[in-house]
Amino acid sequence: MEQRVWSSCEQSLDTDKPLSLQALASMRSLIVNPHTSNSTISSILKTLTRSVQQTADSLTRHHTLKLFTDLASYRTHLSPLIFHSLHSNSLVSTDSSLLAAESLAALSSISKCNPTLPIELDDRLFVSLCFGASVSARLWLLRNAEKFGIRLNVLFTVFLGFTKDPYPYVRKEALDGLVGLCKFGVFEDRSVIEGCYYRGVELLKDAEDCVRCAAVRVVKEWGQMLIASSQEEDKRDWSNTVFIQLCSMVRDMCVGVRIEIFNALGNIQMVSEDILLQTLSKKVLSIMKKKRSHSLHTTENFELLASSAAGAFIHGLEDEFCEVQKSACCSLRKLITLSSEFADQALSLLMDMLNANSMVIRLEALETLHHMAISECLNVQEIHMHMFLGSLIDNNDLIRSAARKIFKLVKLPSLDLFRLSVDGLLESLEIYPQDEAGVFSVLFYMGQNHGNFTACIIKEVSQEIEPVSNGDLGLDSARVAAFLVLSISAPLSCDQNGQSIPPRLFSYAVTLLGRITSALNDIVDQNTLLAYLSRCSRSYISSGMEVEGEEFSLPVADVDVATTTVINDSNPVAMPLMQIGNENSEIHSMISCESGNVGTSIIECQLEEHGQIRKSVNLILAQVKDLWLLVQSRCISEALKILRACKEELAIFTPALPESVGALAFTSQYLHVIKLLVKIWGHIVWKVQSCEIGELEILFGKLERRLREMRCRFIGFSKEEESLILELTLLACILRLSEVEICCYLATLKKLSTTISHLEFLNKEGSIELSNFVMEVKKTLHEIATPIGCVSCSPFVFKKLINHYSAKQFSLSRVTHLYAALSVHGNDFENPLPFISGLPVAIPLEITLHNVSRDARLWVRMAMSEELVQFFFLDLKILGGCDEVTKFTHATPFYRTPKAGSFTLRVCVVMECLFEDAHSVKSFVGPKRSLVYLCPEKEVYLYMI
Amino acid sequence: MAIECLVLGAGQEVGKSCVVVSINGKRIMFDCGMHMGYDDHRRYPDFSLISTSGDFDSALDCVIITHFHLDHVGALPYFTEVCGYNGPVYMTYPTKALAPLMLEDYRKVMVDRRGEEEQFTADHISACIKKVIAVDLKQTVQVDKDLQIRAYYAGHVLGAAMFYAKVGDSAMVYTGDYNMTPDRHLGAAQIDRLQLDLLITESTYATTIRDSKYAREREFLKVVHKCVAAGGKVLIPTFALGRAQELCILLDDYWERMNLKVPIYFSAGLTIQANMYYKMLIGWTSQKVKETYTTHNAFDFKNVCNFDRSLIDAPGPCVLFATPGMISGGFSLEVFKHWAPSEMNLVTLPGYCVAGTIGHKLMSGKPTKINLDKDTQIDVRCQIHQLSFSPHTDAKGIMDLVKFLSPKHVILVHGEKPKMVSLKERIQSELGIQCYVPANCDTVCIPSTVFVKAHASEMFFQSCLSPNFRFLNESSEDTSDSILERTNGKSRLQVTDERVAEGILVMEKSKKARVVHQEELLLMLGEKQHEVQVAYCCPVHVDNLDEARRDHISADDVLGLSNKCSWLQQLFTELTTDFPGRNIQNLGEHLQVESFHVSLCWKDDCPYRIIDSPRKKLAAVFFCCTWSVADGKLAWQIISTMEKCRLTVQNLNQNTD
Repeated sequence: MEQRVWSSCEQSLDTDKPLSLQALASMRSLIVNPHTSNSTISSILKTLTRSVQQTADSLTRHHTLKLFTDLASYRTHLSPLIFHSLHSNSLVSTDSSLLAAESLAALSSISKCNPTLPIELDDRLFVSLCFGASVSARLWLLRNAEKFGIRLNVLFTVFLGFTKDPYPYVRKEALDGLVGLCKFGVFEDRSVIEGCYYRGVELLKDAEDCVRCAAVRVVKEWGQMLIASSQEEDKRDWSNTVFIQLCSMVRDMCVGVRIEIFNALGNIQMVSEDILLQTLSKKVLSIMKKKRSHSLHTTENFELLASSAAGAFIHGLEDEFCEVQKSACCSLRKLITLSSEFADQALSLLMDMLNANSMVIRLEALETLHHMAISECLNVQEIHMHMFLGSLIDNNDLIRSAARKIFKLVKLPSLDLFRLSVDGLLESLEIYPQDEAGVFSVLFYMGQNHGNFTACIIKEVSQEIEPVSNGDLGLDSARVAAFLVLSISAPLSCDQNGQSIPPRLFSYAVTLLGRITSALNDIVDQNTLLAYLSRCSRSYISSGMEVEGEEFSLPVADVDVATTTVINDSNPVAMPLMQIGNENSEIHSMISCESGNVGTSIIECQLEEHGQIRKSVNLILAQVKDLWLLVQSRCISEALKILRACKEELAIFTPALPESVGALAFTSQYLHVIKLLVKIWGHIVWKVQSCEIGELEILFGKLERRLREMRCRFIGFSKEEESLILELTLLACILRLSEVEICCYLATLKKLSTTISHLEFLNKEGSIELSNFVMEVKKTLHEIATPIGCVSCSPFVFKKLINHYSAKQFSLSRVTHLYAALSVHGNDFENPLPFISGLPVAIPLEITLHNVSRDARLWVRMAMSEELVQFFFLDLKILGGCDEVTKFTHATPFYRTPKAGSFTLRVCVVMECLFEDAHSVKSFVGPKRSLVYLCPEKEVYLYMI
Repeated sequence: MAIECLVLGAGQEVGKSCVVVSINGKRIMFDCGMHMGYDDHRRYPDFSLISTSGDFDSALDCVIITHFHLDHVGALPYFTEVCGYNGPVYMTYPTKALAPLMLEDYRKVMVDRRGEEEQFTADHISACIKKVIAVDLKQTVQVDKDLQIRAYYAGHVLGAAMFYAKVGDSAMVYTGDYNMTPDRHLGAAQIDRLQLDLLITESTYATTIRDSKYAREREFLKVVHKCVAAGGKVLIPTFALGRAQELCILLDDYWERMNLKVPIYFSAGLTIQANMYYKMLIGWTSQKVKETYTTHNAFDFKNVCNFDRSLIDAPGPCVLFATPGMISGGFSLEVFKHWAPSEMNLVTLPGYCVAGTIGHKLMSGKPTKINLDKDTQIDVRCQIHQLSFSPHTDAKGIMDLVKFLSPKHVILVHGEKPKMVSLKERIQSELGIQCYVPANCDTVCIPSTVFVKAHASEMFFQSCLSPNFRFLNESSEDTSDSILERTNGKSRLQVTDERVAEGILVMEKSKKARVVHQEELLLMLGEKQHEVQVAYCCPVHVDNLDEARRDHISADDVLGLSNKCSWLQQLFTELTTDFPGRNIQNLGEHLQVESFHVSLCWKDDCPYRIIDSPRKKLAAVFFCCTWSVADGKLAWQIISTMEKCRLTVQNLNQNTD
């Protein structure tokens, strides 16, 4: 087939005649076909080369050149050959500029595919080609001039010269070429720049739209260059001149020109204020009339120029075309920072634009307002409020949210405006309940920005917020909620007037924690907020609340309802001391921290989560510290409620990292301990409840176990933390000793002294200071110890000691939690393990140990009943547990199988407390010291076969 | 040739727009309006001025109507049907659709209500409209061989157009009424940059400069919203076409955005029908309406419903659009009677109300009572808001249009004389364009452009094709002027491309004009090239010449000869130091700078010598300077240097020794 086509093609070739279209078409089909053999291709190439040299017919030549580029693109290996043959050929000559341009076009398309082949064009040849008679060739050459590596000054001369061409498109290309030259930096010769600029100015009056468009770009770019190359005082004059010159074109009938003009206006960085003001007034300002034009570099009458600048932005902003309005809005945004007076006047216009017929423009106007608010030049006046508030209740949610963005930043000059704004926001909330989060957030920001006004407003509406007669708060009403948000924001404004917000409002706000958090999630996370709210609503005696962490990343978006309700229970009204501390500003700074970037990778997430958990935990610990104040002021039940709330709060977290696990487990343990301490304190110190016999003992038992666990199951405490735990142990002992009907007095006393000596040891190591409480206990202990053996010490002495105790804040660094998991595969109530009565049974325990060291003495405790307990020692040295997580299956034998059809074993992993004395447990086989449970008891079901 | 402009109406007044323009032999009537203020013969333009014989068909080539307002189209049925004009009438499609509505409405009011004798019948209207040729925007219509017309968008009302007319080489634009800022429902006027001899423009607001339309819209919406929010009723008396749609779009959009549920009513009748036309003629509306109509036709008002009479006294807030505009009667008056007594209600009034209407009374101070007639008195307690939505351009708009089009002459019509005069002054002083404000029946004649066809020689043609730009860098000359130059906003670097200037127009014997290249001219004429030379014999002071002369009177010639060379040499040195950038050549016998040629002159009676004092003569030697005209500036600079410089007789001392 290929041969046939080619031979028929060859036949038609006549060396004298130009190639026929038919032949050219066949050749093209051969070129395009990838299967055409190389020999044919090379003969085609030969034919074409011959043809292009000989033929005089422009059409054939045009097609031939096209075939060359096709050939080069389909057979890339031939492209250098073709390129060089075309290049070396006399095609690119001054004989026919059209032919030369076509050849160059072919060359440049080849060179585009193969960048190793640059076109080299002599400056002289380029110029003479441009001067050829063919207009289309001239156009092409000007448009592509930059490709040929022509010297800059030659290019400049050619471009500038052709701005005089009678053909508008040549003028346009020449102007565009001049614009392109600007990217090579500032020209040295000032007269060259001026010449070019004024040529642009002249062509602003061109009859053709496209030329005017290009001329605007020239005036913009070369004007900038002119400004840049001017001396200091001259700079301003030139800047003004260029600005006014551009302004004079805003009434052009061509949309493209107007868009270009406004784009250009925004680029000017220095404009006199009076000129800027003139652009906002269609009437020529008197100040402009007085001014003389001597400082401006233009031929035109100054007043005429001023009048052409008059209302430039008004015209732009009320243009029929959205694109022009947008462009005007954008450049206004850039210029607004130049003068505050200008900003004020532009504000009215922008506010009125909120009524523009196109949503895009309304958004653009809002965006500009937002920009002004950021640059702090948004001085809202009464007259603006109607439109401004109108955008808050706009039907379109984009508009509303854009408007809210501005309200967050706006500084209102008077209470009236503030009241209007708040009313506007409330109205918006009423119409669009879905906007609640947004509106709350705005209210919060506004409250922060306007402390005084907020206090006034809250005073006015406090009746509305208060619970009505039946005791229900109207919290369902978004309105009340909104006021609460407003009120809680005020103290954050570092404003002393913030203190006039009644503290109970904060406690009301706690009930809305979820709603408020989700609204403020960009500034504060739930825990911080909760801490803040409870702080403001509760008593403040000491100023010890230190909340760690400055950055609030990854705020908790979903809100645990339980938390909210539980905290709701704590009636803060009952709290005795209501006072707001002085560290509001501290919290303020903390809360107003912007949220960081949300981490992307999982690890980052986890790390952030950990950081966050740590923060929350610390907050809780801080609360616990504060809680002692309540305990000391007899509010035991309130304290317990807060503890419960803290526990709930803690339950939100599902930790992913081992660090978090430790922290959370410890906190939970700590809360338990504190709860027990609080209860016992209540009984012993305040005698709040009639205590059932034995109850106290049980509590003590629990407390001691918990304390023991705290010391055993966590490792990695700092010395300080350790001492705090020891203090708690001390307190437990003291409490026990201060009880009249005390048992195990001696044991406790002994424990007391060991603990003290432990503390002293820590003290000697130099890392901690002994607290007042410890010193007192030590002193007392010393006094008791002198008359040894004499039980003369009354509980009263110890009771006095209790009051020396003051809570300190744990700041958890890094604790590791020791725990285990236990399971028996496939065993449940319906699938019991078989056993033969009297014979030992092996229980396949799957044990997972976390963070348990090899030195730990672990036991499996198997209890059939309270009496029938069997221990089995787990030798980790043999089992090989040394990693953070150790998992193994162990067939643990249970020896004393009963004579019963079935029975249940309660199995768990326990650990010996190494710090306790060995003789405390009198068991013959099994652990010598007291034990802590590493996991919950697991029931194993067995049945007899 | 001249363009003759006969103003039949709207000359120094508003009403009955009608201008007849004769341009290169063609006669066009722009607009054919009626004056609403008169009932007598002044109501219509005086058509007899066009043709005394009444043969309008031969007197006029066409009639062009810009838009459907009665002061622009009102006299058309009378002119075509009663006066008997049968030639072509051009107007845009919407005007053709809406004009009969307006005419019929007017006819009904005149005949049915006022019982006047009718000037034209309903049949006349329909027959007249049948003669109309509708045109589209930017469509070039060849009225006849020589006359071209083209319509451009004018804003103002639906279908309003500016008309461009061109006969031969003369071109003009008649604007009709137009608006340079866009509305909600209409765009701004839009026209190309044309080469015009004449621009006839309206000048209704010749001295007013309006602020931003946004502020006006905000005001209007604010009062309306406040009124309905307080439970009041808003009456918006308006004409059926134009402002009613504008305000309604504005309100409907606002209602939509603010979720207002208060009903907006349109009194039935003309307005409803008009809305239908607006819905169909979307192509003539503003950009925004055009862009969005595929999803939502802006004239499908979501919140608007028809009004029923029974609703006048219904409780609750509402907004009502009612005709006629100035509460001159009809439905709007009826509603006004009911609503005016309550201070909760609001009445908005258009910017302009004719004296005698209730609207006018309301605007001129706030009356508490209005006597409708002997028996009826209305308590007016309601709020009044004056609307300022005018569809006419303001003074700035007129100036902007004139500046953009830069015609050679401007004629102002459709305005009040004092304001027009002030605008005329501005146009003449600020834009430097000749401007006229003719009164009715005046004729303005302005020269028109006439091009003469000329053949071009091949050489000239070729030279035109090839670029031939030059740069003039004036920086080396005239340094003293440079500051002035710069502040004048001209660059020292100028580009010129004088392809055409190199051509020379010759009239051949056959009287045909022909343009030839300048190099061809001599060949053609068989003449030699002449060059104009300027000569001046310049005295140069020689310091000790007097002395030398005294001592060596006899040796005058010897002295001269002996010093000849050295003086020229001295002058050469002087000039080289004074003109460092110039190529000054010393050619022994003379000095040469460009075409400037200087040599010593010994002729006492040199014809180029001007001697003001004989003393000077004694102390000076003379240099004869010649130069060609082109170097004049340079030459005089050199001469002034020469006159200032002082030479010395160098060999004097040696000789005395």
